This record gives sequence, C-alpha cells and structure tokens, in this order.
Amino acid sequence: MAASIAPECNEIKERYDTCFLKWYSENDHRADSNPEYLRGNTTSNECEELFTKYKKCLNKVLKERGIDTMLEDARKSSSETDSEFLRKS
Amino acid sequence: MKFFENKFTYDYSFPAVSLAYFLRYPNPYSRHVLTTDVIDRYVDPNTHRLHTTRLHLKKSKVPSGILKLLPKGMVDPTEGWMETESRNMEWTGILSVVEKQHYQRILTDENIQALDGLSIDQKSEQTTVRTTVTFRSRLGQGKFLSRKKAGFDNAEAEEEEPKRGFFSSLSTAGIQRTIELIGVKRTRDAVLKSKQGMNVVLERLRSGGIVGVLEGMREDREAAFGPEGPWKRVWLQGNGRSIEDDDK
Repeated sequence: MAASIAPECNEIKERYDTCFLKWYSENDHRADSNPEYLRGNTTSNECEELFTKYKKCLNKVLKERGIDTMLEDARKSSSETDSEFLRKS
Repeated sequence: MKFFENKFTYDYSFPAVSLAYFLRYPNPYSRHVLTTDVIDRYVDPNTHRLHTTRLHLKKSKVPSGILKLLPKGMVDPTEGWMETESRNMEWTGILSVVEKQHYQRILTDENIQALDGLSIDQKSEQTTVRTTVTFRSRLGQGKFLSRKKAGFDNAEAEEEEPKRGFFSSLSTAGIQRTIELIGVKRTRDAVLKSKQGMNVVLERLRSGGIVGVLEGMREDREAAFGPEGPWKRVWLQGNGRSIEDDDK
C-alpha cells in the first residue's frame, strides 16, 4: 500500500486501506457477511472505526506541519475558481 | 488558458478499473509519488455514490521539489461511472493545473448484465476514460491585482514599469502562454505514464486478485525507496525541510 505522509500513521493506514478494499470489492460470500459496495452494499460503517483512528493520527501530523490550513485554503480557492469558471461560461 | 484532452479505453470492466484507481500507487511508473492519504471519504446517503478526497505528495522538478495534490473522486456503482478531479495546491499563481477524468463503463448489446452481478475479472468488458486538463497561469497579474486592491494611484505605478526584471522583453501574456505550454508538454508524458501504471495494476488484479496487487506493490516500493519506505528518505535526508518551508 502507498505510504502515508505521516510515517507514524502507516500501520493504521494500512489496516484501514485493507478494510476499504475488502468493503469495496472483495468480501467473502459467507452467510454472515455483507456484499461489497460494488455489488450494492452502500452502507459505509464497516471500516468507520479504523478510518476514525487513521484520521486522528493523520490530522495531528497535518496540524503540526501546518498542512491543515493549507488544505482549507485549497478547498476554498478551488470553489472560488470553479465559480469564476462558471461565470465565464 | 490551455487545454489538453485525451480519450483511452481499458480492456477491463468498470469494477476493476475503479478498484485499480484506488490501488494504483505504488506501481513501476509512479516512482515520483511519495505518499498518498485519504483525507475524507463517505457514501452519499441519497445517491449512494462514494466520495473520496485524498492528499498526494509528488516529486517534481519544477517549481519546487515536492508538490502536494488534492485529488477528489466520485464513483457511481449502479450506473458504472467515476469522476475524478485533481489540482495543485501550491504555486497556483504561476501555473494552476486542473485534471478531470471521466471513467465510463461501455455498454454493448451483449453485455447488458447489471454491474452488481459482475465479477472483477469479467473479460468481455471495457471502460473508457476521458481526460481533460486545464492550464492557467496568472504570473504577472498578482502585482497588478494587489495594487488595485490597495487603492494605489495607477499613474504613479505605471511610471515604474520600465524597471521590470528579466522577463521585461516578454509580455505578461507571452510568459503565461510559455508556462502553460510547458505544462501541456509535461502532462502528455504524465498521462501516458499514468495509463501504463493503471495497466500494470489491472494486469496484476486479473492474474492475482487484490493479493496479487499488494504483492506487486511491496516489490515496487522496495525497488523505488528501499525497505524503509519513501518517507525515510524524504524526511531524514532533509527534503522534508522544503515541505515545511513551503508552508510559510
């Protein structure tokens, strides 16, 4: 799996990524397991707990490096450019 | 503003292509991709579409050593399409690059089977991807804009114009066009590499399933970065500094 920007989050990221891939496409088809997202299971709770842990780890590092404000700016400016493009067309 | 457009068909089903999109790093053509993280992910309760926002760190020769990218994606599993968008987070004044991709399952008379009954390795299926990239440079406009905002007297500002720096022989529009064209040229190579990378991942998926892809990834990662992973090199050898500098 691809590495995280935060080395200390690699382990939890790998666990989350694996869970996501299974949820998306590769659940086994025993009676007690849900079908995959691609086959119509659109509830996303299965990996939620791992995602929360992974995000907690990641957000701490993003904040320490000041990347969190950068992400906010990027989101803001991307919606600004979008509206600019819309006005033009 | 400049545009780049490309259309390509994968000989793989939509479920396989969309999965390969999430699984594509690392691959032998992605040595410049250092890290990827999931920032946000949810299934829209009304449309049942899967939304994903990620953060990628990529090595780049210009204008800085490492670029941060923010790709967003949306999958519709019942209609069989996926839309992605990626833009650079820094240096957008010099060159803003927005890449949009639309992946679409090809429906023919013989394959009208619903997607939810389709297996990942379905051989008769195809998926097209249309890539559109927009390049926009605002270089040389920033000074003008900030002056206007500050309410400076324009006549006085014009007086200083002849003292402009080494780009003085080129018009602002000319510089912007040149930078945009460099972007187009680099993108041609990048789009080709990304296709090759996707095909490697898709082939691994077909022959070995997800386990096969993960095994291939481990080999790619070791070949590219050594057993410790990319961050060791990035952070311990000082390149990490340039990231912190960028954030100022």
